[in-house]
Amino acid sequence: MSKTITIDPVTRIEGHAKITLQLDDQGEVSEAYFHVTQFRGFEKFCVGRPYYEMPYLMERICGICPVSHLLASAKACDALLAMKVPRAAGKLRRILNLAQLIQSHSLSFFYLSSPDFLLGMDADPKDRNLFGVMRKNPELGRGGIRLRQFGQQVIETLAGKRIHPAWVVPGGVNEPLGVEKRDKILAQIPEVIAIAQKALAWFKIEFENFREEIRTFANFPSLFMGLVTVDERAGYYEGKIRFTDSLGNIVADKLEAADYQEYLGEAVEPFTFMKFPYYMPLGYPDGMYRVGPLARLNLVDNCGTPLAQQEWVEFRALERNAVHSSFHYHYARLIEILFALEHIEEYLLDPIITQSHARYSASLNNLEGVGCCEAPRGTLIHHYRVDEQGLITWANLIIATGHNNLAMNRGILQAARHFVRSEKLTEGMLNRVEAVIRAFDPCLSCSTHADGHMPLWIRLVSPEGKLLDEIRRKP
Amino acid sequence: MKRLLVLACGNSLRGDDGVALHIASCLRNGLCDPETQIHSDQQWAPELAEPISQADLVIFLDASANVVPGEIACQLLRPASNLPASFTHQTSPASLLALAGELFGAQPRRAYLLTIGGDSFDLVEGLSEPVRQAIPQAIERIKALLSGVD
Repeated sequence: MSKTITIDPVTRIEGHAKITLQLDDQGEVSEAYFHVTQFRGFEKFCVGRPYYEMPYLMERICGICPVSHLLASAKACDALLAMKVPRAAGKLRRILNLAQLIQSHSLSFFYLSSPDFLLGMDADPKDRNLFGVMRKNPELGRGGIRLRQFGQQVIETLAGKRIHPAWVVPGGVNEPLGVEKRDKILAQIPEVIAIAQKALAWFKIEFENFREEIRTFANFPSLFMGLVTVDERAGYYEGKIRFTDSLGNIVADKLEAADYQEYLGEAVEPFTFMKFPYYMPLGYPDGMYRVGPLARLNLVDNCGTPLAQQEWVEFRALERNAVHSSFHYHYARLIEILFALEHIEEYLLDPIITQSHARYSASLNNLEGVGCCEAPRGTLIHHYRVDEQGLITWANLIIATGHNNLAMNRGILQAARHFVRSEKLTEGMLNRVEAVIRAFDPCLSCSTHADGHMPLWIRLVSPEGKLLDEIRRKP
Repeated sequence: MKRLLVLACGNSLRGDDGVALHIASCLRNGLCDPETQIHSDQQWAPELAEPISQADLVIFLDASANVVPGEIACQLLRPASNLPASFTHQTSPASLLALAGELFGAQPRRAYLLTIGGDSFDLVEGLSEPVRQAIPQAIERIKALLSGVD
């Protein structure tokens, strides 16, 4: 008799979800489903609004990564105006994007996931939180807080506020960077680089204790996708789309993000509001691919900044070809923090960064525009159509977490098959299934454009559909 | 000199939820000692633990759905003994006090949570009449707390 397990809510993720595990007659997990049951409809309610409102409407999708939506949306508006932005503005936008990557990755790694690494997957959930981390390793806790604080301070220094800033505008940014503000950021960089390096040194030892999780947390061959620049670096703000396979071979390269509909399909499933993007030439679901930190480090042969490059070389030596285990999203996040800190310093040291001309203006020149950048969780695409008056007639957003949907579902199945061994769920079992999702750092409010009130729920269901056991968690 | 910190929290797009931000703006514009640090945020997050640890007195300022519209409530805060499992979006004032002590080894001598009862938390900008009327009294109360009179 088959059974179903439900985990509800999934904890320590951005947003809320539930998981259903289907057991077969032998009591083995046969299917796993990651349900996102919330819906907001940003693509619908923006219809009729003027295009220049879009960056500020769209960044309200999320309180963690609003800058990504702000940038992708502003880039889509740049395309509607058929314009490039001033060089200084382009660099300032890049700094803003990297600052957000730092604060978001710090939240994911230190606040949400480090309790698992430091206290163990089987630790009492009462202790398995940031407070527990502070008690066991206060230096790590302080470092995580400082890194997130730095990312937020850079956003505030450039854009005026930490969450939902309105500084990025179609055509550039609405205020240049002064020397005093530049120097204030620069002065902090050596300290935060040292923190990132310490965290990396700690984690490279610590993850050796998680061999079983590394082996079973969404560890399978897949495609990887992301933006790559002309000089073959991961392109966080600009570049063209590249797909590589699990052997590291380039499957498709130099694809225009604006042509995404030619190579990305979006499937829907009845059990979730989150769509399932796939690489169209391989069909659904064989066209599964992963995006985000792991993908970005797998796509390129050069990280691009001195300290991060050293770490990247070690990272890529984990496996002969691409790094397959999604557990290593965590490791990749730390390397990206280091890269972002070094890269921000490079941009700030460029004399052009304080140039006063930071915005061009133009009238509407196109009726359709696509904007793309790398959000902390992966490639983000905003696509708008407008009428002659510049009012939005149609919008489509493809969100980083959505790209990973197929891989997350398959990853849950892999981990559940390994860890769920009976009809009765244990806390450690539950936490490991959740931790697979946590490794991807999904942002469900973004990916469903939904309002984030869904808790995690794991259900154990028999082949006949009878509910055998369930665990619910309040968010 | 005493280090004073006011932490206002709210969302100005949700009606009366923005009252703390409004009061913070008034305080910033000359209604309190310029040395007083004033932060306005949409949520209280662990990053505030560091400035809290460096302050002698902290006032957390927020709207409340649990008291009569326009009513001002003020409570002395103690550090939380337990923290929630997740810190994704917001941390309670008591948790922040605890974090300040755990992480940075110091806590303010006194911390208060001052709330103003809200009438409407709908998707509107602007404050309801009872809340607007309560603002001068709330500011006076904050000034008294900051000066150590209250």
